[in-house]
Amino acid sequence: MLAYLTKSIVGAVVVLLMMSFIVFGLQSMIPADPARAVAGPNAPPETVEAMRKQLGLDDPAFVQYGRFLSRLAHGDLGTSVRTRQPVSDDIRQYLPATLELGLASIALGAALALVMAVLQFLVPGSGGIRLAMVGVGSTPIFLSALLLSYFFWFRLGWLPGSGRLGYRDFAGPTGLNLLDGILVGRPDVSLDALLHMILPALALALPIGIAVGRSLNGALHEVMSQPYVRTARGKGLSETKVLLRHGLRNAATAPLSMLGLQVRLLFGNLLIVERVFGWPGLGLYTVQAFASADLPAVLGVAIVFGILYILVNTLIEIGQSIADPRISL
Amino acid sequence: MVKLSHRMSRSATEPVLAVKDLSVILSREGRPSRVIDNISFDMFPCEIVALVGESGSGKTSIGLALQGLLPREYLPRVAGSIRLAGTELVGAGGRTWRSARRHLVRAIPQDPMGALNPTMTIRHQMRESNGGSERSIKDWLARTGLADPDRIADALPHRLSGGQRQRVLIAMAMMARPKLLIADEPTTALDVTIQAQILDLLRDLTREQQTAILFVTHDLSVAASLADRVLVLYAGRIVEMGRIQDVARNAAHPYSAGLLAARFDLDSDRRRPLPTLPGERAPLINVASACSYAPRCPIAQPDCMAIRPPLEAASAHGGAVACLHQEQTPLLSTQRADAKPWPAVAVQETAALRLSNVRKTYPTGTRSFWGRRQSQPVLRSVNLTIKPGECVALVGESGAGKSTLLRIAAGLEAPESGTVTRFDKLGPQVVFQDPVATLTPWLTIGEQIGERLRGVSLDSEYGRRRVGEAIKLVGLDPVLMDALPAEISVGQCQRAVLARAVIVPPSLLLCDEPISAMDVSLAATTLNLLSDLRRQLDMAMLFVTHDLAAARIIADRIAVLKDGELVEVADPDAIIAAPQSAYTRSLIAAMPSLPAGGGR
Repeated sequence: MLAYLTKSIVGAVVVLLMMSFIVFGLQSMIPADPARAVAGPNAPPETVEAMRKQLGLDDPAFVQYGRFLSRLAHGDLGTSVRTRQPVSDDIRQYLPATLELGLASIALGAALALVMAVLQFLVPGSGGIRLAMVGVGSTPIFLSALLLSYFFWFRLGWLPGSGRLGYRDFAGPTGLNLLDGILVGRPDVSLDALLHMILPALALALPIGIAVGRSLNGALHEVMSQPYVRTARGKGLSETKVLLRHGLRNAATAPLSMLGLQVRLLFGNLLIVERVFGWPGLGLYTVQAFASADLPAVLGVAIVFGILYILVNTLIEIGQSIADPRISL
Repeated sequence: MVKLSHRMSRSATEPVLAVKDLSVILSREGRPSRVIDNISFDMFPCEIVALVGESGSGKTSIGLALQGLLPREYLPRVAGSIRLAGTELVGAGGRTWRSARRHLVRAIPQDPMGALNPTMTIRHQMRESNGGSERSIKDWLARTGLADPDRIADALPHRLSGGQRQRVLIAMAMMARPKLLIADEPTTALDVTIQAQILDLLRDLTREQQTAILFVTHDLSVAASLADRVLVLYAGRIVEMGRIQDVARNAAHPYSAGLLAARFDLDSDRRRPLPTLPGERAPLINVASACSYAPRCPIAQPDCMAIRPPLEAASAHGGAVACLHQEQTPLLSTQRADAKPWPAVAVQETAALRLSNVRKTYPTGTRSFWGRRQSQPVLRSVNLTIKPGECVALVGESGAGKSTLLRIAAGLEAPESGTVTRFDKLGPQVVFQDPVATLTPWLTIGEQIGERLRGVSLDSEYGRRRVGEAIKLVGLDPVLMDALPAEISVGQCQRAVLARAVIVPPSLLLCDEPISAMDVSLAATTLNLLSDLRRQLDMAMLFVTHDLAAARIIADRIAVLKDGELVEVADPDAIIAAPQSAYTRSLIAAMPSLPAGGGR
């Protein structure tokens, strides 16, 4: 276990270095000019040059990279070109919203997957579920997000379609509104946060649920024809018990891997869904950073997502070793 | 049907199980086939009945039908009647079946390795069984001869050996105190010494618990060492039934007689080919009006193809037989033409393969806290030389290191220290245990055999001729060149695998348990084919097996491997007549055999 954790941390550092290098390389390749962006479109060339010097953009690339790395080691992700605030402050401000939405999507996606896979097994003639899965699975996320927003907010008005909370001045200890509402004894805040979260979380959870559900269903098909399942049936257990006690855990490894992959895709989807639902999180922040060639901000978010992804992967592997005790870490 | 009552007490007892006119139809890929065809039999408390037949005879389907566990994807249709302890089960609902499985009928599977849930402790799995209280878990584990029941109960299945797992499964089945126990080849996957212990255990438990056992097997000698009565099954029909000693001594059906003749043991004649059943198992004949064995039967008459023989009293013993010409069967044994002896092998005094001081360790699954894998020696300093043209059989139990040694000889693995010398540029060929699994499902037999001819296209005249020759050499019909593996039988797949190995004859052929999953007749056929091929093509052979009888028949020398060390290497008859090590003696003692005077 100790060796495994050490290996994970070393791996994380290596991945982060590689990532910083790639994003840094991109910075020097794209034609957008941050100095021009900061100075404004009408600024005279001298001002732009002065700004370039001030930002250190005329130093050799390796000097810039070295400077960037040493700042990174001190937790300094630079200053956002757009908001003119330290990127780390921006991230601290927007991360809780994204974490809240991301965790809710993963939980909802996993629940969808479980329900779909198990229902297909226990309910005979569930070809309809399969067909619906194919239909939803072939809808691109920007379309499904728009459709959800259009029907449930614009047409029906059942759920809020924008933002993450109706209370303007609420601020809790963790920044996760759903949790904070409970912590400070404001269940009305929690409920409001939940209502705001349903549509964006559902849009994000659908692709997760379908991919993981299909993987789980396939694994269950394999597991349920294993001899030990026949042993379980031979004890006179009901089919539901056989599936829940003997099927699910043995089928867990592959769908957990799939969940890990889906979390990576989730980071991309967050940009779209936060934009569609006006969710004030890192995704929206990144979209806005793109618009103004705000490379420090993009880089900072990329590194945060990278760390999150490594964390998720480690958790998935630990989860797999719990599901299947034969896997030793 | 014919009532058999050879025990006076039985007439007073009700049968535990009464099967009447049972038929099962399974649909595979939309084609329905009648795997069980109108069979009837009774079983009484305490009785052990052996159900004997080749693979594909429907014997496993009977076991599953009695538990209501026929695979749903084959859309099973069951007709007739199964009365278990007074409850009619054919047509019963899910609740009745579940209750029957919980209280009345239990099964012990063929392969104990796969039959326990790998992610659940033994204790949890046993708790699910009827009567699985903490005390009875411990009691039953101890009663099945497991030395440390508490440790076993808290272990996960992968920490246990095959024999231990089978004992756990027996405990799990017996703790529910079932009326009927179905044991589907419960010992084929186990080592011989463990086999004998498991059979003893089953026998004791039935006496104690008044349980009836339906013992499904392809091996009459295993059946004979355990059962009271035998049902011989062919193509889903009962062709003969009676007391096991009677059938073993005076088989009344030509099929039973053929099965008996095909079995080999430590006394079989190894100088000539083994007798085998003629032909491959014919596809199930679904005509009601013929004897299904007729196409293979050496004494078939024209009327056998016109009338389905009824099960009637056997003239040779007190049982019943379904044969129109049962009086002819005894003639079979005298008619059996003595095959020509094998020609002598010209063994040269050089070496085709030499292993010197070969050692190997494997990492075990467990890791220390610091992440270091523990390792375990598998081979400790093995020295073995195989001469050109010679066949050496490597005998030992599972875990002895046999397969590792074979993989090292094949060059698939490197030894940790020591040297492997092969005296031929052409690498050795390997034949593995499961012939179907070693063929690629989407390539035709011809394509897979032809793959070894590098640079020769199978479309060319020359390529097809070479493949055709190889196919004929192993006794396959050249028509099958264009068949896919799924379209041919297991026996034909085995021949195809051999054709692939010998199309470019290697100087060394390595066989890893090639017959351990086969029924008696197919095993004998394969041994004959291997003996023939090695003589024709002048190949040296390393034959890995856990079956001492097979080793004796095929090999010029037997090497006994125990815990990674060769304890004995000698001439087969010398080893069996005068084993030098205690381990070899225990292997010989554990061989099942027919009761004295039976069989031949």
